[in-house]
Amino acid sequence: MNVDRIEAAILIKKKEQAIKDFLEGKKINLLKTLSSCLDEYFYTVFEKSIAARKMVVSGNAFAIIALGGYGRKEQCVHSDIDLLLLFDKSVPPEVEAFVQELLYPLWDARFEVGYAVRSIDECIDMAFERFDILTTVLDARFICGASLVYSSFMEKFRSQLSGKHLKKIFTYLFEHGEKRLKDFGDSTYLVAPDLKSGFGGLRDYHTLLWYAKLKSNIKSRRDLEYYGFLSNIEYASLEDSLAYIWDIRNRLHYITRRKCDTLHFEYQTEVASLLGYKNKAKQTDVELFLGELHAKMEFLKQINQITFEDILSSCRIKKESAVSRPTKTEGLIIKKKRLHFANTVVILQRPDLLLKIFLESGQSKIPLSIEARRIVSEFLHLVDEKVKIDPRCIKTFKQIIALSYWKFNVLNVMLSTGVLERFIPEFSAIVDKIQYNHYHLFPVDKHSIRCVQVINNFKESNDMGMDTLYSNVFKEVRNKNALLMAALLHDIGKSDPAKEHSKRGAKIAGPILDRLGFKATDKEDALFLIQNHLLLAKIATRRDIFDEETAVFTANKVGKIRLLRMLFLLTIADSKATGPKAWNDWTENLFKDLFLKTMGILKTGELASKKNQRLIDKKKKQVMTLLRENRQEEIVNHQLDKMSRRYLLYVTPQNIVDHINLYRNLGTRDFIWQITKGKDPNIRTISICGKDKPGFYSKIAGIFFLNNINIVASQAYSLGDIHILDIFKVMAPQDPLFEKEKWEKAEKDLIHALVDDHFLDKALEKIPDTLAVSSGNTPEPNQIRIDNETSSFFTIVEVITYDFPGLLFSITNALYRNGTNVNVAMVGGKVDQIMDIFYIKDVHDDQKIESKKRLTQIKTSILNSLPHIYSKEVINEKD
Amino acid sequence: MKKIEAIIKPFKLDDVKEALSEIGIYGMTVTEVNGYGRQKGHKEIYRGAEYVVDFVPKIKVEIVVSDERSEEAVDTVRNAANSGKIGDGKIFVSNVEQAIRVRTNETGNEAL
Repeated sequence: MNVDRIEAAILIKKKEQAIKDFLEGKKINLLKTLSSCLDEYFYTVFEKSIAARKMVVSGNAFAIIALGGYGRKEQCVHSDIDLLLLFDKSVPPEVEAFVQELLYPLWDARFEVGYAVRSIDECIDMAFERFDILTTVLDARFICGASLVYSSFMEKFRSQLSGKHLKKIFTYLFEHGEKRLKDFGDSTYLVAPDLKSGFGGLRDYHTLLWYAKLKSNIKSRRDLEYYGFLSNIEYASLEDSLAYIWDIRNRLHYITRRKCDTLHFEYQTEVASLLGYKNKAKQTDVELFLGELHAKMEFLKQINQITFEDILSSCRIKKESAVSRPTKTEGLIIKKKRLHFANTVVILQRPDLLLKIFLESGQSKIPLSIEARRIVSEFLHLVDEKVKIDPRCIKTFKQIIALSYWKFNVLNVMLSTGVLERFIPEFSAIVDKIQYNHYHLFPVDKHSIRCVQVINNFKESNDMGMDTLYSNVFKEVRNKNALLMAALLHDIGKSDPAKEHSKRGAKIAGPILDRLGFKATDKEDALFLIQNHLLLAKIATRRDIFDEETAVFTANKVGKIRLLRMLFLLTIADSKATGPKAWNDWTENLFKDLFLKTMGILKTGELASKKNQRLIDKKKKQVMTLLRENRQEEIVNHQLDKMSRRYLLYVTPQNIVDHINLYRNLGTRDFIWQITKGKDPNIRTISICGKDKPGFYSKIAGIFFLNNINIVASQAYSLGDIHILDIFKVMAPQDPLFEKEKWEKAEKDLIHALVDDHFLDKALEKIPDTLAVSSGNTPEPNQIRIDNETSSFFTIVEVITYDFPGLLFSITNALYRNGTNVNVAMVGGKVDQIMDIFYIKDVHDDQKIESKKRLTQIKTSILNSLPHIYSKEVINEKD
Repeated sequence: MKKIEAIIKPFKLDDVKEALSEIGIYGMTVTEVNGYGRQKGHKEIYRGAEYVVDFVPKIKVEIVVSDERSEEAVDTVRNAANSGKIGDGKIFVSNVEQAIRVRTNETGNEAL
């Protein structure tokens, strides 16, 4: 026993030395060295073992065989060691003593050793029963013992690998691969890639190797090229990718001190620094590292596709005729359900075929054959300056981007073959560009392509409810190509992380769009989209979308309905293509809500038109002049920006100035007002600034009525910051001597009314039940219109009736008693019949009123509060 | 110890975070939540079609502080989340029986 402990100690020492050399950057093949160290351990223990000698002497010849990764001499730092003790006929009981000698020291030293003791026949039976065992047998390698046992086993195994078995095994490999894709293809695994089993992991290479071993009985990895499974370039890339991934895997094992194959988020930085990434560009080490890893894994994914295409063609569609049929594109043919070039010479004459094949593929939904992909990659140099500006090729490219869907993604193939980068060289800067965080799951290039896919998928929405919104909006987009190009290029500015990528992106995209022949307006649109692709997302999460001003702000930024539609779809696609952190019900709701509300503002045009914007700008300047406070311009501008646009649009500059002064003097008071005489000696203007309270507006109207002050017109605005600014135009009191006292009394009454909610009940009683109008014709009855569609924020109530003292009070009191708050009011104007407009919201949740029942209630109580209208003439006749 | 749960408007999150870190509270749990008001969602009209937005997006911020700091923390959150408007949200305060730091096994205020 002691001997083995010594051997184990030697093994550990050798292993540690090898790892040390490896970490110090010495040029050693760690995988092979680790395998050889193990081999040597097994030789020595076997040679010195008495138990082994006994078995051999008693006629039980056996072989020690390495399986799996160890069998392939691809032993990583903490990989499992798979061992098979293979006997010619039967397994003797003495084997137990030998296993103790052989393996206990390893187990004690914490090696993960798995072993099996079997006879040749047992082993073969099991291999054909369980394909996971079969694949390990494919990698079997003789270490020591009776080589005859090994060779007769392999011979027997080979001879049984008949067509019948082969087909089953291929099916197993295929299904196993599909399952892996399902388990690991999920985007969440991209943040923490699994180097072995993950999509693009070592397993993809293993599968190809097994397949090649089964099909052509190849011996080693090198044979993959010799037997034509891979081209020369592909084989070189495979070696390069494997070396890189193994390197990382070994370091990961070393860091975690166990067999850990998932590159968890928290290890990524450490691995990057172990690999010696130096901050060459402005990008962080870890992003550089992940980008490179991504590229290597991407290649293994392609290997996986090559393998599965091959497996499919050798087992599934064998029955189909291998006869080729033509496509509608000359020079391209379909064979075995795959697109091929008719011959390679034709490409030299017609390099546009290198693009056309993708168009054909997208239109017919037939993938490129592996051979065709290889040819495209090898002929890339033909996609030259001439091709890039050839109108036919540009047209083809524009058609292709409209054909990339979830299930059939031509753009991805274009990217992986290198054509996309040849055609748009600027795209290279974002290929395999990683953003190191939990948020961005995909490298920038893949993300951009996904974004295009999502938009194309809006075409076909069978979903009910809200999701039809996307397809409806998409249908209305006139130039879909501008939108799709913007989607493809929206992150092109990310090549330099130090700069603001949206602006930079627009700069880079300009020349691309010119080259691709976009006309001026479409180019402008696309550039706007690229530069503002974060606008909606930012506003939705950083501003109050239930505030009308947010929608007005957005509407003004975007400016055009056409652009809002495109920007909305791009925002949705961008989020969807980023990952689950950026896209969920919650964000979706925010984005949709903001879009619909902004659309409402843009459609109405009132608050976001260019003309009105100019009007507001002009007014702001006038206010500034009137205030004569040049030094405080900034403060005043800030104040003006806080006011609602509707206010700025409809209130005169002088009134605004009055309000600003009142606002400054308000202090802790509930309200403050100012009464001014204008040109008309019979009219007084009362400007009021106060702290918003439910019913405030109604109470002002009430105390005017109580004090026999007739309201000619009024405007009311409630500002976002809980203040109200109102303007009343009233008839001057009839007795000019005591005017001041009259206003003082009214002011006192208002203070009372604000405290005592029933102070105005007595005034309410004075409102007449009937009203005679001296209209020549039959008078119009009172009309109440409720508009709940025009605004996303307010229920708009229009009252059409005849004027009488107390009119405004009776309407606003009805609104107040129905639990609503008047946010905007525009009252008065016409002499005869008048139309008053009120923008109301629910007092409790500050939103427009949705319930039909309540809307009816509001309408009824306003109607009930108004006097019955009749014609004076009719009464006279009766008299 | 007290747990403070605040339901606030999304755009107020940065203000609340900043205000809390100003008084030395850095650790908090932030969740995107959906608020269902008394009205069953609100409707938006687009091209004649009605789209119902079912819920109001809100943010839930949870912090646990010692009893002594609870009042200060509540005031801080309230001031930061306050825009004076309806729908600014609510704050709930509840007792926490025990807190344990997984790594060190510290308990009570030590673990906060």
